[in-house]
Amino acid sequence: MVQMGKRYKCEECGTEALCTKVGEGQPICCEKEMEVLEPKALPSSD
Amino acid sequence: MNTTVFLNIATAICPDRDIISFEGKHYSFALLNERSNRLANALAGLGVKHGDRVGMLEVNCNQHIEVYFATAKLGAIFVPINFRAKADEVSYMLDNAKIKVLFAGSRYIQMLDTILPKLSFIENCVSTDKKLDGTLAYETLVSSSVPDEVAADIGDEDITILMYTAGTTGRPKGVPLRHSAFAGYVIGNVEPANPIVEERNLLSVPLYHIAGIQAMLAAVYGGRTLVLIRQFEVKEWMRIIQEEKVSRTMLVPTMLKWVLDDPDFDHADLSSLKVITYGSASMPFAVIKSAIEKMPWVKFINAFGQTETASTITVLGPDDHVIEGTEEEKEKKLKRLSASIGKPLSDVQIKIVDESGQSLPYNAVGEILAKGARIMSGYWKDDEKTARAKTKDGWLKTGDKGWVDEDGYVFLAGRGDDMIIRGGENISPEEVEDVLHSHPDIEETAVIGIPDPEWGQEPCAVVTLKNGKTTTAEEIMEYCRSRLAGFKRPRQVIFVESLPRNTMGKVLRKELRTNYEQLSK
Repeated sequence: MVQMGKRYKCEECGTEALCTKVGEGQPICCEKEMEVLEPKALPSSD
Repeated sequence: MNTTVFLNIATAICPDRDIISFEGKHYSFALLNERSNRLANALAGLGVKHGDRVGMLEVNCNQHIEVYFATAKLGAIFVPINFRAKADEVSYMLDNAKIKVLFAGSRYIQMLDTILPKLSFIENCVSTDKKLDGTLAYETLVSSSVPDEVAADIGDEDITILMYTAGTTGRPKGVPLRHSAFAGYVIGNVEPANPIVEERNLLSVPLYHIAGIQAMLAAVYGGRTLVLIRQFEVKEWMRIIQEEKVSRTMLVPTMLKWVLDDPDFDHADLSSLKVITYGSASMPFAVIKSAIEKMPWVKFINAFGQTETASTITVLGPDDHVIEGTEEEKEKKLKRLSASIGKPLSDVQIKIVDESGQSLPYNAVGEILAKGARIMSGYWKDDEKTARAKTKDGWLKTGDKGWVDEDGYVFLAGRGDDMIIRGGENISPEEVEDVLHSHPDIEETAVIGIPDPEWGQEPCAVVTLKNGKTTTAEEIMEYCRSRLAGFKRPRQVIFVESLPRNTMGKVLRKELRTNYEQLSK
């Protein structure tokens, strides 16, 4: 199941997606499951 | 992506979380979205269309943010006006932007009464707090309109904000800022709203300032709660940090100094603070060193940018504020802390050039130029100033002097032009001089910035008097009081027989600065 507020990235084409509604299944791109992007190591300046 | 999508995303992820906490009132993401939709529909009813300008003259408050999103949802352009500006200055900005609908706090309505009759293009004026004759009432507009999402066609490259900034010459310059400029920065640097992670950002800087707008948009996208204060006041700031358990904030160097110097600082519980960003003016080394020592739990970030760059372009990060390692490493870090603005963000290029525009090698001082997708394409309706500010191949001349070291850190070496920066506010010397020239006793004048331990710089007027005329410094400063925003008013007046000039007759401001820089110490 996808996680609310998480970003996903396609390793093949670089497309990024942001989950704004939880649902069944996994996000797929280029016929592959997209990877969850980890939070940035540094805080933003704002 | 356009910035209105930030609100839709965060509303979908954390609808019930507060986006705004302001003087005891709380607005959730869902409520902000609903009120912005209602206001957008009300504005559409007033005839506001794609590309029209909607002005805002008010201190920080929830209405500021609602009006921004309502305007943006229509594809119109939000124009925040410096609330410290005097009638003449406000009139110029409203006229230059050709504002169609103006929102203003009731305290500004009296001033507006004197200038609005001359500005016939302003079709409606809305009082944000109470109903006054000749104005529409804000809450009536909101409550009487439908909450449906408006479906405007908004392009990523459309202008969303027209922001005025002081130049070194004359009147403020309008900087049109595109949705993509903010989206590029925010999406690239801020974690999106997360249903578990909660952050609270105290907005200490005004929303007519680029740093205020950037922080607001970052907070909306990041699902953070924005704690608003009308204007910065040090004791109020400390009280709110404690009460609201604020986790991050942005301060200009003058504000940080006030916080550290306040007698209540040692008793204040600021333990909730995790990140303090500073910028908008050079940070005195003693102030940041003291801040690091007194608040060792805080991550400090120096963010450098300008209105023309849609804010941050270089960052000196938290690791650079931790003075540890070998003696050589410590020395390097202390040097960076004293003058570096860090490294360029990944979507920004920086180069240093000499007066002929040729790139300079490492460690050579020249003007800092910036290039990237977020940089403004040009000033509002001013090709002449645009041509002076940008090179033909798209580099922005920042007006700041500096150098880059072998590690890629950018260092500041003062302004390359005559701009005065007082407490993070840019002041055009020429604008102050125009007012002084209208004084009946003044023959000629040059306004310079002189160092000040509190404000960074203070404007100082060097004047010559007309033959046979006498006046006092106090009288001249008083003359400026009603004609210029408070922060622009000269704090010192020096009488001289004549101004130093070059062979072409140009006033040698550099010589004046050298002569009088010790004045305030």
